[in-house]
Amino acid sequence: MAVNIEMLLGEIEKKWGGKYTKQRDRRFFLEINKDNLQSVVSFLKENGLYHLSTITGVDSGEQFEVLYHLDLQGEIITIRVPISKDNPQLSTITNLIPGAVLYEREVQDILGIKFLGHPDPRRLILPDDWPEGVYPLRKDWKYDRASGIIK
Amino acid sequence: MKDNLYCIPIGPQHPALKEPINFTVTLDGDIIVDADLRLGYNHRGIEKACEERNFVQCIYLTERICGICSHSHATNFTLAVEELLNLEVPKRAQYIRMLIGELERIHSHYLWLGVAAHEAGFDTLFMYTWRDREIVMDMLEQISGNRVNYGINKIGGVRRDIPKEYIPEFLSGLDKLEERTLEYIKVAGSEETFVVRLKNVGTVPHNEAQNMCLVGPMGRACGLPCDVRKIDPYLSYDEVAFDMIVEQDGDVMAQAKVRLKETIESIKICRYILQNLPDTPLALEKVPRKVPAGEVVARYEAPRGEDIHYVKSNGTTNPERVKVRAPTLANWLGVLYGLRGAQLADIPLSGAGIDPCISCTERIGIYRKRKDSIEYIDWDWLREYGIEWYKKHKKVVR
Repeated sequence: MAVNIEMLLGEIEKKWGGKYTKQRDRRFFLEINKDNLQSVVSFLKENGLYHLSTITGVDSGEQFEVLYHLDLQGEIITIRVPISKDNPQLSTITNLIPGAVLYEREVQDILGIKFLGHPDPRRLILPDDWPEGVYPLRKDWKYDRASGIIK
Repeated sequence: MKDNLYCIPIGPQHPALKEPINFTVTLDGDIIVDADLRLGYNHRGIEKACEERNFVQCIYLTERICGICSHSHATNFTLAVEELLNLEVPKRAQYIRMLIGELERIHSHYLWLGVAAHEAGFDTLFMYTWRDREIVMDMLEQISGNRVNYGINKIGGVRRDIPKEYIPEFLSGLDKLEERTLEYIKVAGSEETFVVRLKNVGTVPHNEAQNMCLVGPMGRACGLPCDVRKIDPYLSYDEVAFDMIVEQDGDVMAQAKVRLKETIESIKICRYILQNLPDTPLALEKVPRKVPAGEVVARYEAPRGEDIHYVKSNGTTNPERVKVRAPTLANWLGVLYGLRGAQLADIPLSGAGIDPCISCTERIGIYRKRKDSIEYIDWDWLREYGIEWYKKHKKVVR
């Protein structure tokens, strides 16, 4: 039976607040508070959204945004979770969707967002000798290439 | 660690690996108890680099994320930008993009079959498949001038046409490919040594595949109906008849079946496109350089599975954020799962099963120099060493 995405999203709005928009066919955006992430994801999973396509981290100036792209047979709900730059952490969803393990580690590496309760929070992609506390995808980070002059 | 367990690092440089990745496997005798991986040996910082380039330059940059599925990334990015600009791309351009995409899928699946046959010790099949792969490589070269990185896309259309006189030649090439593919389906399904080697290797059950969010041929080999061309059609895939191939066994054999049958479907799609090319212009005449602010999630079924791009624009000529998730990253968890409990000798086959594309997976991270390091060779040291070496060996090199 086909699940009606708009009904699901309406129900979430009622239960946990937040706001959803339909961008076009098969593309939905839902903004929620980070405290409700666990309950919203587990609610969606119960209704068949078990496929997490990926997690995107965005540095939007004043705050970070973590976007979870969940798929239901071709329809994508993007859950947007804004978090403050002073305290960039939120709970993991790997307990609900094990497939999120690598994606959360990637976001943690490049933006420095901590996922509380992650089973394996080691580095994934940055080199071992990369300095602590430097996150390359933050907007204030610029790379200065060492001048390579060949004598 | 218990006394009878051994921990063996494999890679990033290893005779059994074609691209840099590191597996750490824990062995009890010959049986793998645990497997872990470390990525990042091929990161080039493409997501960050995209933010410093304009949208047109980004098409060519995303095309270079991967050597095999270059068209997938470039098309996906172009689709995202076109959606932000709200452009209606001419039909002929959409069909040509699809044609290149399907030819790319055929050559990628042929490449995979060759690699899998080689890892299974069936080198005759490897030689034959790679010989026949030249048919499709020649077609791609004839259209675009290149064997990889076709450079077909531009915002609002395509850059190259398919002239009428190519079509009969291509159709007979496709007939030849179909005949060969059917032959390989027969060989791969009935040659006993090959079947025994591939069966029950790297098996992932259906529910685990669902939990780990596997994509592409690996997901479909586990019974997940996850072909983006069917479930979330882009370009004009909703106008073309083809079947989504799904198998249930979840092992490398099932993946081989999925890929081979998909090749047949791709040939069908190519044939339809060549016979029904719409007669419209190749591209829109005028396309704005500034892209209005907004965000788009675009998906594309690359040969290895679902490729997803998130593009955010801030109303200027450069993107604010480009996020790429290549299919191989999604499938690593499945490989690690399949390795647990398998034998050490199954690593190359399980790894090759997902058709890993490590360059695809890796985009961020930049080499950092380090002083007085013993474990690491830094860039300066390497450069000095190179200069010295060439000075000393001038005669040898020339």
